[in-house]
Amino acid sequence: MKVFILRRLLQSLVVIFLVYSVTFWLLMATPGDPFLGHKLPPAAILAALKARYGLNDPVHAWLAYAWRIIAHGDLGPTISYENWTVLDVIRSTFPVSIALGSLSLLIALWLGVAAGLAGAIFRGQWPDLATTVFSLLGISLPTFVIGSALLMLLSVDLMVFPSGGWGTFSQLFLPAITLAIPYLAYIARLTRGSVLDTLSADFIRTARAKGVGRTAVLTNHLLPNASIPVLTFLGPATAGILTGSFVVEKLFAIPGLGQVFVNACLDKDIPLVLGTVLVYTTLLVLLNLAVDILCAVADPRIRLQ
Amino acid sequence: MKRTLLFPSIALLTAGLVCFFLSASAASHRGAIVFCEAGQIHTLDPQHMTWMQDIRVGLGLWEGLAQYNPSTLEPMPGIARKWIISPDGKTYTFFLRPNARWSNGDPVTAANFIFSWRHMLQPSTAGGYIAMYFHIAGARAYFYSLVSHARHHLLFSSVGVKAVGRHELVVQLTRPCGYFLSLMAFPPFFPLDARSMKPFLVHTGGFLHYNARWTRPPNLVTDGPYRLADWRFHQYLLLKPNPYYYDRRAVRCRRLLVENYPDAQSAFLAYQSGTLNVLSFIPGNFAPTLLKLQSAGKRHDVHYRPVFGTWFMDINCLRKPLNDPRVRIALDRAVDKKAIVEDVLRLPEKPVNVLIPPDSITGYHSPVGLSYNPRRARQLLAEAGFPGGRGLRRLKLLIVGGGQTTEARIAQAVARMWQKKLGVRTRIVQEESKIFHEDTVNHNFDLDISGWYGDYRDPTTWLNLFRASNPNNHTGLNSPEFEELMRRASHTVDPQARLNVLARAEKLLVCKLMPAIPLYQASDGYMYNRNKIAGIRPNVQLITLFKYIHWRRRPLSGGYRP
Repeated sequence: MKVFILRRLLQSLVVIFLVYSVTFWLLMATPGDPFLGHKLPPAAILAALKARYGLNDPVHAWLAYAWRIIAHGDLGPTISYENWTVLDVIRSTFPVSIALGSLSLLIALWLGVAAGLAGAIFRGQWPDLATTVFSLLGISLPTFVIGSALLMLLSVDLMVFPSGGWGTFSQLFLPAITLAIPYLAYIARLTRGSVLDTLSADFIRTARAKGVGRTAVLTNHLLPNASIPVLTFLGPATAGILTGSFVVEKLFAIPGLGQVFVNACLDKDIPLVLGTVLVYTTLLVLLNLAVDILCAVADPRIRLQ
Repeated sequence: MKRTLLFPSIALLTAGLVCFFLSASAASHRGAIVFCEAGQIHTLDPQHMTWMQDIRVGLGLWEGLAQYNPSTLEPMPGIARKWIISPDGKTYTFFLRPNARWSNGDPVTAANFIFSWRHMLQPSTAGGYIAMYFHIAGARAYFYSLVSHARHHLLFSSVGVKAVGRHELVVQLTRPCGYFLSLMAFPPFFPLDARSMKPFLVHTGGFLHYNARWTRPPNLVTDGPYRLADWRFHQYLLLKPNPYYYDRRAVRCRRLLVENYPDAQSAFLAYQSGTLNVLSFIPGNFAPTLLKLQSAGKRHDVHYRPVFGTWFMDINCLRKPLNDPRVRIALDRAVDKKAIVEDVLRLPEKPVNVLIPPDSITGYHSPVGLSYNPRRARQLLAEAGFPGGRGLRRLKLLIVGGGQTTEARIAQAVARMWQKKLGVRTRIVQEESKIFHEDTVNHNFDLDISGWYGDYRDPTTWLNLFRASNPNNHTGLNSPEFEELMRRASHTVDPQARLNVLARAEKLLVCKLMPAIPLYQASDGYMYNRNKIAGIRPNVQLITLFKYIHWRRRPLSGGYRP
């Protein structure tokens, strides 16, 4: 197990370095100049700005940024929010994205598994139908539609929840639900399918034949096996929920990293894009590692590889 | 199952709660006026401010030698209690208030201005509005000597700024400048407190500059009506009255929260639900409906007005066939601006045939531009050798953004007009803003749609756009006749005579040279309930001075409903 984790960690470092380098060269290759705006300063000022950010020579800049990260752990200044360094920006916005993302995922996980179980156990009856319809809607409707509808209904018309911002639990509720719904729907489908598969397995029949009770079959035999696909999905789901929260953040005015990332790409804010990509990559690599370990713990068959 | 699902659940819950409490602020902002800006705050360094939202906050935190009159935006005494202008209009002597203080209690002195202006004139400071400093004698030479020879540069003493004692500042100009006092109220000319900035001085890559953290609370020391109490990235700025401000009693708002919603629609919903008290814009999608409701008397919180900006189409005068002024004028006269405003925008904007918003500068009489006349346009095009558009290549019309934006709708309408009236074909190209700016700067387009909002109340803020030496001159126009008029204006001492020369220069642009097709004067506004909030004056630049904003104690009389 230790060797397995160590090997994966080393692989992760290589992946992170590659992603960083490819991002840098892609940014350099895309057209557009980060310092050009609607009102253009004299050429001398533009030159001074480029010098400040060390962007005059791509190779030099690439090495300088890489060195900065390794030696100082400092990701440098941003271009679009000059009073905040890249680290400042990430420190302020990433906790917001994590908080929103993890709570949404928690909602998606529990409600999704519950809905999936209900669907599988009451197969063909109304709970199954309801779950199917709900999942279909949840997966098909884009978040901006769900979010806007919730916003109009619960915030503007009924005034139950605030319409946006960050800082109180009531402000968290609507965006968390909006962000959770597609994942909830997917987890529900996944659980339902997996439980149905497991239900027809031999060991369940054996357990029943031995005279094990309905609940015991469910908790001791059925769910541990049926939950593995859900667990594997948690890795990519976390990634998706953290990096894909842009729309929800925009809609509910949430100061998260998703918005910063998208705007940084549009503004061609090279240091900020690099910093954000680095954080996301590290997080994804680590999450995938965590999920692999978790699966190995849950399923001895995986450990054998 | 119990363990396998429980572990991630606990991990998620802990991560979620810890991060939530880390990122949420505990402070309650009850009683604060919540002012919603149209965009994110980019910087609080006054020498780098170019965006409206930054400037608005800058005007709340700092005060220059002069300050704006909230309604007319004419300069009135600020940190300087009075000034004397020499008869030749080239020497300004400012007398500073002895009771002007920074937010840490230190007195504001002439040395603070000298420090700030000297800092701005360093190329490494990279101040976007550096050109405004070149009115000061010797400033241009000093700046460019620093740019070119780092070792044998001119000394700062060659720049025409001198402090006489602690409270007197003498400024020499190269030539008279009618709007110099207005500039004294503009952020790039604000004083800086060297003492509080000193710990942030850093040396990187051969440049001395200040670590931008000097602008973050509690480091930031300002001399204006407010001090910066808190700043949360992408969340809010909290402004509280500066206890040492000399005019402290005029500041009646005890807490001002400046926020920004990334989505105008969400901002409007938040405004409707009462989370936001003032919107510094009218949300685009709702504007026609809101204005209709306002004029029907069903709403009273939409404060919309023409502003100090115009929208026009730049023409690339360097490329054939657009280097022929007849073709440019033909294109202009075939655009029905009234139809664009009424059918495309569906807003009460004013169509214009000139570049500078009419009646927005005192004493400046706008020339009469060319009116819509497709018959004359066809004639001109034929004279230029393209009868009925024959022989004319397809023109590239560049616009910024993606999707069905206002610019896109205007471009489509104009393209249809040209096709129908002149037989001129166009290709509309939409580009992301950074690429759009690169293409316009490099003259890689035939026509583009562009807007310009004046920085100061003088015709030159527009006319300079078409001077050959200006980097913002996307059109590539280089007309000796126009340059001569601009030169003559800059040497004219009498203010009215100068404005008249400038009016002739504008007439030359819009009637003969036509580097840009004027479309309409921009309008914008605020949304707030006048029954609750007072102190926002509807001025032409939409500069709200936070100093005067406050909750209204008693509702307005006269049947006013929110």
